[in-house]
Amino acid sequence: MNSLAHYSRLWLAGARYSIVRTMMFRADFIMWSLVELFWMGVNLLLIAVVYRHTNSIAGWGPWEMTIIVGTSMLVQRLLMGLFWTNLFEMGRNVRSGHFDFFMAQPGSPLFMVSTRKIDLDGFLNAPLALGVVVYACHRLGLHPSVWQMVGYGGFIICGLAIHYSTLLILVSLVFWLQSAKGLEGGYFGVNEFSRLPREALRGIAAVIFVYALPVILVTNVPARALLHGVELVPALWLIGAAVGWFTFAVIVFNRGLRRYSSASS
Amino acid sequence: MLAVLNKYRSIFAIGLQSNLVYRWNFAVRASFSLVHLTFVFVLWGAAFSGQAGIGGFDLRQTLTYFVVMLVLQFFISAMNEDYEISEEIRNGLINQFLLKPINYYLYRFSIFVSARLVSGLLALLPMILIYPLLADKLVLPSIGWTYAAVIPALIMSSIIQFTIAYCFGLLTFWFLEIQSFIILSLAVETVLGGQVFPLDLLPKWLYDFSAYLPYYYQMYFPAALLTGRITDQAFIIRGLGIQFFWVLALLGMAQLLWSRGLRRHTAVGG
Repeated sequence: MNSLAHYSRLWLAGARYSIVRTMMFRADFIMWSLVELFWMGVNLLLIAVVYRHTNSIAGWGPWEMTIIVGTSMLVQRLLMGLFWTNLFEMGRNVRSGHFDFFMAQPGSPLFMVSTRKIDLDGFLNAPLALGVVVYACHRLGLHPSVWQMVGYGGFIICGLAIHYSTLLILVSLVFWLQSAKGLEGGYFGVNEFSRLPREALRGIAAVIFVYALPVILVTNVPARALLHGVELVPALWLIGAAVGWFTFAVIVFNRGLRRYSSASS
Repeated sequence: MLAVLNKYRSIFAIGLQSNLVYRWNFAVRASFSLVHLTFVFVLWGAAFSGQAGIGGFDLRQTLTYFVVMLVLQFFISAMNEDYEISEEIRNGLINQFLLKPINYYLYRFSIFVSARLVSGLLALLPMILIYPLLADKLVLPSIGWTYAAVIPALIMSSIIQFTIAYCFGLLTFWFLEIQSFIILSLAVETVLGGQVFPLDLLPKWLYDFSAYLPYYYQMYFPAALLTGRITDQAFIIRGLGIQFFWVLALLGMAQLLWSRGLRRHTAVGG
């Protein structure tokens, strides 16, 4: 309990520092918020254009598909807001030796490197992404129960854990490789699949993107919870994937940490 | 004239060497783009399911469009030239060009051409490897004469791509941090350049409007010519004319930003 309070205080101190810093560069904050907003618009525009010419993608109608895309955007915005900058700075810090700073902090190195900063522009757009999901539900005439909404929230946290773990594994490679630069390109490529319905994938693609790298589950399970109610087997699969990926990511990080020998002069 | 050409040919050769050092980065990037291509195939395959065509084109024609677009990106699009120019201004590295008989735009353009040659050829490798899997999903048009328009369209596209990146890099004379401008512009270019979906799928009024913007000529126009999405001769000639106008306008803009920017630039140290 004391430990939880300790880490909460550390996180709040980091959040306060991030907010003060963001307010020092307000124009930059507005520009980055616009950037994120525009990229979300690009994702929605693709859906709008495709559905101008077809009624269904793998059995999913336009507003059902919007729930998937909105859910994908929500997970992405939370990831960007909470972890993205921290994890990519970790890659740079390991190379430069500045990672020593985190080893000397009053907490677990993984917690300290993952939560030092928050990006307000990511957070600002997360409610907008949620708004897209709510609007799509409204257009479909859905009235989700409290259980469905709790399930949706829980699945979003599981999805966030999967994305965080994937990113942590990729960035932790910097302990072995000279540079993890460019790997984010692979992450974004894989993440595109989170905007697809499960039924669109067949064969080897389904095995890879549904089971091996569960990006499809991250969006499809919460979306189906809103559309059809919480389904037990997919829910267990998503929770299992979140626990499994997070455990694996922590093991990789800790193994990497053992190899770290500082690079400072 | 020959001496001037030799000068930039040497810069091109140096650029070729330095970009070959990063061959693995380009190769990894090209391999990752295959993941994006898989996403495109799955999405459009599902969208075409149960219907013969979308926007007047069948699935094979649409997939060919995206494959061509992907390959063209590695041959003609600006990748990190804007950041490199920004860094050179911020770190004072451009000072050396102010004292030498070298045109900074042509210097950067020579390096850009060498970089795209390396990245383009490396991008072809994974494409060649997976071609047996793609062969029956692709179809190229048989209208030979449109290919004659492709060469000037591609050359002008690469100039437009580079010059837009160059202009964004020059913004460093006014702003300390330009990354947000670049990413915002990238989003606009990605959509209006036809990389997210073929622009002819837009409502007609929006498509007609986009054909007056420079983004249309960055990627969509040459890709549409190569894949037979644009075949009307009058439309092609008009397109080449508008593209030429944007080349001149952007070159003028680049020159204006350079001369105005230099007035603000302070070269410190030696």
